[in-house]
Amino acid sequence: MFSKLIRRTHMYLALFLTPWVLIYALSTMAMNHREFLKRFYGENPVQFEKESEQVYSGTVPPDATPKQAAVQILRNLNREGAFSVQGRPDGEQLTIFRQHPISPQRIIYSPKDHKLVIEKQVFNSATFLERMHRRRGFQHDYGLEDTWAFSVDLVIVAMTFWGLSGLWMWWELRATRGWGVLSLTAGVALFAFFLFTI
Amino acid sequence: MTLNLLLRRTHIYLALFLLPWFLMYGVSSFFFSHPPKREDGQSQWRVRFERPYEIAIPEGADLRAIGTRVLQEHGMQGSFGTYRPNADKLHVYWFNFWNATEFIYSAKEKRLLARDHVFGWNSFLTGMHARGGFEQNSVLSDGWGVAVDVVCVGMLIWIATGIYMWWQLRPTRFWGSLALGSGFAIFLIFLRAL
Repeated sequence: MFSKLIRRTHMYLALFLTPWVLIYALSTMAMNHREFLKRFYGENPVQFEKESEQVYSGTVPPDATPKQAAVQILRNLNREGAFSVQGRPDGEQLTIFRQHPISPQRIIYSPKDHKLVIEKQVFNSATFLERMHRRRGFQHDYGLEDTWAFSVDLVIVAMTFWGLSGLWMWWELRATRGWGVLSLTAGVALFAFFLFTI
Repeated sequence: MTLNLLLRRTHIYLALFLLPWFLMYGVSSFFFSHPPKREDGQSQWRVRFERPYEIAIPEGADLRAIGTRVLQEHGMQGSFGTYRPNADKLHVYWFNFWNATEFIYSAKEKRLLARDHVFGWNSFLTGMHARGGFEQNSVLSDGWGVAVDVVCVGMLIWIATGIYMWWQLRPTRFWGSLALGSGFAIFLIFLRAL
């Protein structure tokens, strides 16, 4: 019964988390060959194109923090969600980077003339994969972001579980013990070799 | 050997061989997701020296060549990266899995600061997690890059062979389809709504 529980958990968890594993495998490969991919996407693969320009009708209090100003602007634009911000609301300009898996946006607010320039990042698969790989953590004030961060944590727990439950399931298959020990030993030896030589 | 047995054995033996990498990526990801807060106020760096130094950095210079020279002049070789945050500063970051040293050159002040990273399991694991690529002039470093690729291909093979093995287990098809379908559905929702 215990063995069956381990096997079923190993399998169903893997089926459920297939999209995450797929994205982490592809993104790691893209990041491992970043220099090669520059041939296709250029030295700076992150490019923005202007989407719209408008007068901002709201008022940002001069004593607002950059974060408060960004939250207000994003709320007014109906684009609430995870972001980072540069600059100050009482300075030359405030630049808000609204994170999004597929089409991130850069919103530039000029307090002097109350102008908003909205740009979207030009899509390319390499930066999309890297964005997905790096998205994690509970630092944002949005429930959906926390849910994504929780799913990342689930993948972390699952990876450890797959490793350990895989060992358990392999050991139960007597016929595979010989070659299995050889594979495991070779892997551990090669890993240790790298650890002390590079 | 039948195709069925070949796929099953590939799934197992590949997993056993790549287990150290897989566990390392799993455990180290935790530190990216939950970076520890440094409340003791201690720096992660210990200054080795700061002294007058001069090296020419022409416009559009090959920063790796300059980095190599800085390291050689201080009796060091191995993997490193360079970073130029502005026209004044050049960072040369030397590393292996256990240690890291950063040289920060200021062209204006003509000074060089060298500082060593204080060892911690957090940075040890995250450093190992982030290591990859083929930019170093070292066969062994390239070997690690190849290993990273093998892990990625391995993950794709586990998905393909895993789905194949699941489909063979008829009683699990309903709940398996539900798990696979709901996983993709939730992932697509994240893609659209995040």
